[in-house]
Amino acid sequence: MNTATATALRFKRAAAAKATDLQHRAVIQKAIATYDAAVARGKTRFADWQNARSHAAAIKWETINHLDRYLEQFERNVLANGGHVFWAETAEDARQHILALARRHGVQKVVKSKSMTTEEIHLNEALETAGIKTIETDLGEYICQIRGEPPYHIVTPVMHLTKADIAQTFHEKLGTPLTDNAEELTMIARARLRHEFMTADMGITGANFAIADTGMIALTENEGNARLSFSLPRIHVAVVGIEKLIPRLEDLALLWPLLSTSGTGQALTAYSSLIGGPRQPGETDGPQEFHVVLLDNGRTRLLADAEQRDALHCIRCGACLNACPIYKNVGGYTYATTYQGPIGSVITPHLRDAHQWSHLSYASSLCGACTDACPVRIDLHHHLLHNRRNSVQRRFDQPIQRLMFRAWLWAMQSPGRYTVGGKLARLAIRLGWAKSLAQPWTEGRELPEPPEQSFHEWWKQTR
Amino acid sequence: MNPARENILARVQAALRAQAHRPAAPTTAPIFPPVTNPETRFREEFIALKGELIDGAEKLREFLKPFGRIATDDTQLVREVIGDGNAGPRDCDLGVTGCDCLIAQTGSVVVSTTSTGGRALSVLPPTHLVIARRDQIVPDLASAMALLRKRYDSRWPSALSVITGPSRTADIEKILVFGAHGPKRLVVYLGS
Repeated sequence: MNTATATALRFKRAAAAKATDLQHRAVIQKAIATYDAAVARGKTRFADWQNARSHAAAIKWETINHLDRYLEQFERNVLANGGHVFWAETAEDARQHILALARRHGVQKVVKSKSMTTEEIHLNEALETAGIKTIETDLGEYICQIRGEPPYHIVTPVMHLTKADIAQTFHEKLGTPLTDNAEELTMIARARLRHEFMTADMGITGANFAIADTGMIALTENEGNARLSFSLPRIHVAVVGIEKLIPRLEDLALLWPLLSTSGTGQALTAYSSLIGGPRQPGETDGPQEFHVVLLDNGRTRLLADAEQRDALHCIRCGACLNACPIYKNVGGYTYATTYQGPIGSVITPHLRDAHQWSHLSYASSLCGACTDACPVRIDLHHHLLHNRRNSVQRRFDQPIQRLMFRAWLWAMQSPGRYTVGGKLARLAIRLGWAKSLAQPWTEGRELPEPPEQSFHEWWKQTR
Repeated sequence: MNPARENILARVQAALRAQAHRPAAPTTAPIFPPVTNPETRFREEFIALKGELIDGAEKLREFLKPFGRIATDDTQLVREVIGDGNAGPRDCDLGVTGCDCLIAQTGSVVVSTTSTGGRALSVLPPTHLVIARRDQIVPDLASAMALLRKRYDSRWPSALSVITGPSRTADIEKILVFGAHGPKRLVVYLGS
């Protein structure tokens, strides 16, 4: 017998608490309103945003549906540029490889620039456990790290915090004076992290794109922490999900502005960088070694599902999170996943345990706002429906749900049964039974007043 | 030998035996409106990003006055306009580099390790001055890519960056703050 998993129950409790947290709501609404205004302006820079989306979808479709070819081409070119490539089937393989690399080079300190893929494989914990000091350098990630919390949002890690929250955190953990000035807070982080960059042995980044025809990775950022991470330490490691491939350098002429626009509304973020290996002869600085870790960790499972394969087109811009009415109400932490919001709800059952995470596909009103927002045209809300269908077929739903749907089907198949059912339902509402029958749905909701007659009856009289 | 490579590639190939629905093809219409006057557009975009523009040798001399420790790359243009520096990227007040090109559409500066003084010089100093010529302005990102491809296709620099305004963050309540980690000031000297 299947019951709701503990994870699903935890989701429900967390969602109920967050949905009624008015301060949380105000903070998130303000942040997303600022984002929405910037994105609306940003889209006007394109001749035709819808056509740009179609172009991007075509590029990613081409790559993902010939992924073997592009992975091999990418590897060949990284090696030709003097870099190293490690293929990791699982998170554990990736962690062990990076740990071994750090030990071999006597690495004592790692600076990291923002990377959801390293969050996915819980790299920081592994490095710290091995006694290697690991410092997040993106401002938002740095704040998360000193608070001991995961990122709240894949693009905006501390969207849920106010200036006062962050000042309090800095005051408690770093001993700095309280301030309500965002610039002062940023300068505190800049000064502290500057020292870490100068003394780190290894820089770890993710990759927004991996370019097959030049063997480069592309990094999109605003702060300069990624550039410092791949410029100053003597070893650079990039952790790259295999779905990050794109065929040609020239594809970035579209994909860079598309990611920036959907991520923050900028035409381009402050720094769009390409890294194609270690320091070359004749260059004045740069790391001695460049390592790419190509990560599967469940991605080939998603690839095998042709119906949902386009979920691997994702460029992690965060637009679907910001568009989602559920995300805005329950918040990023309720998902308890690396990737939150609609894209997270689609891919997490594939990347992790399908049963444990099947509840996520119900964390959606199926309104389609995510699909409309997606710059690479992933059919997100239909994939949430596909995941619902799959979990019913695999009998992850509860017996009571199956029974109710069977009863509903039986009633809907005959006009007589439907009429009797309607009469009984109206009677149940009128007598007050429905409120307890429909628990817990009615806990936070009022039932409507039942009409005197059904539409069917009214139509017969009126037509 | 790590079998992961063959395992992953085999799984990819097996997965791709099932065909995925192909999305409707895009039209061939241009993705961005054409850039008509590149220099004017560059100036507008760059200023809107809080970049600082310098025209003329007199203004450049004035700008340079307060900077004591200057680090420079060894490109010909920088040598001609600024001369030799007296500090390194780690201990300067001002980093001066050339560039591969300027992009009108986005007000960006393209730097690379082989042409403009390595990786640190254009990101570590608190102020970054770019010495450029007007004829280095290209209309858009696509033309910048074409230029880089032509210049480097046989051997690429190990790192390139498209710099679009000074370092910034909006991680705290979406409030824009300059100088998160990279230069707080980005300055372009446009010579002829």
